[in-house]
Amino acid sequence: MSIKKLNKDVFKSFVDSMIASDQSVVGVKEKVQAKGNKFAFGPLENADQLRLDYDVTLIPPKKYMLPQTETLLTYEVKGESKQHVDEQKLILVGVHPYDMIAINQMDELFSQDEYDTHYMTRRNNITVIACDVVNASENIFASSMETAVVEKGFDILLTDLGKGKEYVAEAITEKGEALLATAVDATDADDKDIAKRSAIQEANKKDLDKHTLNCKPSELSSLLEQAYEHPVWEEKAKTCFSCGSCNTTCPTCYCFDVQDLVNWNLKDGQRERSWDGCLLKDFANVAGDHNFRKQKESRFRHRLYRKGKYVPTKIGGQVACVGCGRCVGACVPDIANPVAVYNRLLEDIKP
Amino acid sequence: MCDCNSTEKSIYLPELAPITKVAMMNETEMYMHLDHDIGHKPGQFVEVSIAGIGEAPISISSSPTEAGFDMVIRKAGRVTDIMHQMQAGDKLGIRGPFGSGYPIDEMKGKDLVFVCGGIGLVPQRSMINYIMDNRADFGKIAILQGTKEFAQRIYHDELERWAGVDGVQVLETIDVAHDSWNGNVGVVTTLIDKIDGIDLTKAVNLICGPPIMYKFVLMVLQEKEVSHENIFVNLERRMKCGVGKCGHCQMNGQYVCQSGPVYRYSDLANIPEAI
Amino acid sequence: MSKPRVAIFDFACCEGCQLQIVNLEEEILDLIGAVDVVEWREAMSEQSEEYDIAIIEGSITRPEDEERIKDIRSKAKVLIAIGACATTGGLNKLKNNFDDLEEVKKCVYSDASTMPHLETAMTKAVDEVVTVDYKVHGCPIEKAEFGSIIRSLLLGKAPEIPDYPVCVECKKNENVCRWEYGEICLGPIIRAGCGAKCPTASYRCFGCRGYVDDPNVNAAVDVMDKYGLTVDQLKSKMVLFGSKQGPTL
Ligand SMILES: Cc1cc2nc3c(=O)[nH]c(=O)nc-3n(C[C@H](O)[C@H](O)[C@H](O)COP(=O)(O)OP(=O)(O)OC[C@H]3O[C@@H](n4cnc5c(N)ncnc54)[C@H](O)[C@@H]3O)c2cc1C
Ligand code: SF4
Ligand code: SF4
Ligand code: SF4
Ligand code: SF4
Ligand code: SF4
Ligand code: FES
Repeated sequence: MSIKKLNKDVFKSFVDSMIASDQSVVGVKEKVQAKGNKFAFGPLENADQLRLDYDVTLIPPKKYMLPQTETLLTYEVKGESKQHVDEQKLILVGVHPYDMIAINQMDELFSQDEYDTHYMTRRNNITVIACDVVNASENIFASSMETAVVEKGFDILLTDLGKGKEYVAEAITEKGEALLATAVDATDADDKDIAKRSAIQEANKKDLDKHTLNCKPSELSSLLEQAYEHPVWEEKAKTCFSCGSCNTTCPTCYCFDVQDLVNWNLKDGQRERSWDGCLLKDFANVAGDHNFRKQKESRFRHRLYRKGKYVPTKIGGQVACVGCGRCVGACVPDIANPVAVYNRLLEDIKP
Repeated sequence: MCDCNSTEKSIYLPELAPITKVAMMNETEMYMHLDHDIGHKPGQFVEVSIAGIGEAPISISSSPTEAGFDMVIRKAGRVTDIMHQMQAGDKLGIRGPFGSGYPIDEMKGKDLVFVCGGIGLVPQRSMINYIMDNRADFGKIAILQGTKEFAQRIYHDELERWAGVDGVQVLETIDVAHDSWNGNVGVVTTLIDKIDGIDLTKAVNLICGPPIMYKFVLMVLQEKEVSHENIFVNLERRMKCGVGKCGHCQMNGQYVCQSGPVYRYSDLANIPEAI
Repeated sequence: MSKPRVAIFDFACCEGCQLQIVNLEEEILDLIGAVDVVEWREAMSEQSEEYDIAIIEGSITRPEDEERIKDIRSKAKVLIAIGACATTGGLNKLKNNFDDLEEVKKCVYSDASTMPHLETAMTKAVDEVVTVDYKVHGCPIEKAEFGSIIRSLLLGKAPEIPDYPVCVECKKNENVCRWEYGEICLGPIIRAGCGAKCPTASYRCFGCRGYVDDPNVNAAVDVMDKYGLTVDQLKSKMVLFGSKQGPTL
């Protein structure tokens, strides 16, 4: 498949022609509310809105595969239900490698054992244009998690060779190839361009390290094997609000709640699923007010075990924290940082 | 956007099935039968859906050797309240069967002890009746049933019927004495010493009851030196999806909706959240 | 099947929540189609003797209110408190911060303070006087939430009322956290359901929906340090809707 070079103007018209096509295009934009220094994925109206130099988005792009709230079924109350599957096609522009890796993990989780057609249909209808990181966010630790570069999952990977003047674009799927072909003025990237790209990626492997995990991600599982009763859980969770922000901002959290809604005619309605979070107080509550994770510390611990030990067993050992750092910034009492917790354990335990 | 079926069938889509029989068993428990074969194994459960109200995981109470399946519903909230208002002919949405079920092959040829608390008997009955229909494949059977109060007893006719079967002993107790009850009074653990002619350490011991019961039963079995390999527990958790996605049923690394709700106790050694 | 009879009563409040119901616009017709409104303030003076659902707005601030609410409770199958005034005491509880209510009255009404209709007592939320089945939180209530709670009840289903903090909805809306701007946002200890209205509009949450069931108020104190703020500043933010409502500092 091809590796192309697009200068600024070619890139711009490439994006604009995507927007003009019949597919919806979403990409990273400035968050107006935050006076432009925070970013979010949203519908693109023109190429100038796209900010591939962003550091991190407020919430991850998983919202396009697993929306905050989505309809699973429509029904007649107390009667027949019909499945509801969203088949909209979408081009998603500007996914960073760590978020791409998180999406790859979710693809595995939603397709294994029982195939979730709601997630997978959305996913299969999305063309992903990933991009290498240009500006490191305040709390990123992708270097430690080995998620600073990505090799699969996307259709096209963009690398900014310098201040948005030139991009290298590599298509790795048929879908990506066809899309990249619409950039008619793009030239073939030469060895020098590809060498520049490698240099950028090699640098990212080291420099996306605002926090540093003192062990290999693959060692977390055996570290956690011995850490269940460690005092760190209580120490940290003392100031936990059970607000779930560490869940709702995380690209690898996929737990959900399901609720039934009914329309005013009281005759029809829809069954919806929406993001849930294991840090929320009632997450494991059952009838008779028996709560299987009643203590804040047990919920706090569960999340870090899920990332480091439980989910990895389902996806071939991959650690389910991709080091995006979102939870670190989202946690008001500043206790959610996985690196801080794992490093604290490493002081006392040898993995 | 469309509501068409052009994609694969959703794992969240229930299938409607009519209720063929209902009967109140006592003030809070309702028995239901659906003439709807779902190809289950003893110990599995279904997700019952009432559109507009919600879903609830409910144990299958009957053996696969019988047509259709039975459920017993305790009124506990939204879905179960509405189920209690239903009658024969009304339809329920069903997904499943889900879960791993009892380890039938391993139980064959062995003596079996069922320790049940309250509606813990409901899922155990799916196994017990399977045994009754394949009696020659299994050894001696002891069924221990403990109920809090006389008025809450369930499946009394059936307990009586089982007691009449060769090699089956049924021991029943209620926690609180009652005028119309001449049987045992006390918690279910007090029945364990009354089991006749079964070596607990060689038997398969199957426990199902409210969360607090497990500790006590396990303590007694510990005293009797029953190895953890020979104990199976049937656990309840919050469940939303039943298919290993939503995360609600998770206890440590295990998804109860998939690998449970029946577990070999020794497999729970590294699952501190289990009991 | 006859339609469920609904009665709406107001106690001490600004009636802003009733306004929200009126503001349901098209939906109000659906609502009126689905239920029989048997009593709505003075508009319907004849006292009907029984209602399936009684909707209570406002807090209990006078001795005679207590009698009235007990009477309503005895006639209602389901009683719903709507709005902060009714669910938590809301703004009306500010006066409970004073020890001497006569002083408060003089200060508010000066010479008129001895008039009998201004008789006052410590503010109570409705559930401090009678059993409340469901609460629709907020000051004012959210129309969408009110609608969905009523529809649930009409179906015979207990409504799902969130017991998690505002942050959950705030994050789903992709807001920048107000704490990043040095503002004391009460979102982490306040019950969601409003869709994080205030942070979404670039204001901090000031807690109109009341606390979640088990708020970690001590943690809120601890975080003050981290943000270079003082506990007094936090207290001053909690007084508006948090006065004498369970956990305090
Ligand atoms: C594997 C399994 C088998 C079960 N078998 C039976 C059975 O045979 N008969 C029976 O009567 N009950 C059974 N239960 C329990 C039953 O699922 C719950 O009582 C039911 O989900 C409550 O749903 P509801 O809509 O009626 O109540 P809700 O209105 O949903 O909730 C009422 C209370 O139940 C809690 N709750 C919510 N979801 C669940 C859940 N999935 N499980 C437990 N509590 C929950 C809520 O936190 C709340 O406190 C089983 C549960 C499991 C996990
Ligand atoms: S745990 Fe935190 S740092 Fe890791 S992926 Fe989730 S949000 Fe990002
Ligand atoms: S974001 Fe922080 S305070 Fe909130 S639930 Fe997570 S750890 Fe607790
Ligand atoms: S809760 Fe607020 S808006 Fe509603 S009546 Fe009370 S003061 Fe008015
Ligand atoms: S702005 Fe307030 S409600 Fe939103 S996340 Fe921050 S603390 Fe929570
Ligand atoms: S954000 Fe806070 S103050 Fe604003 S409406 Fe919601 S609960 Fe009330
Ligand atoms: S019930 Fe959803 S994962 Fe088990």
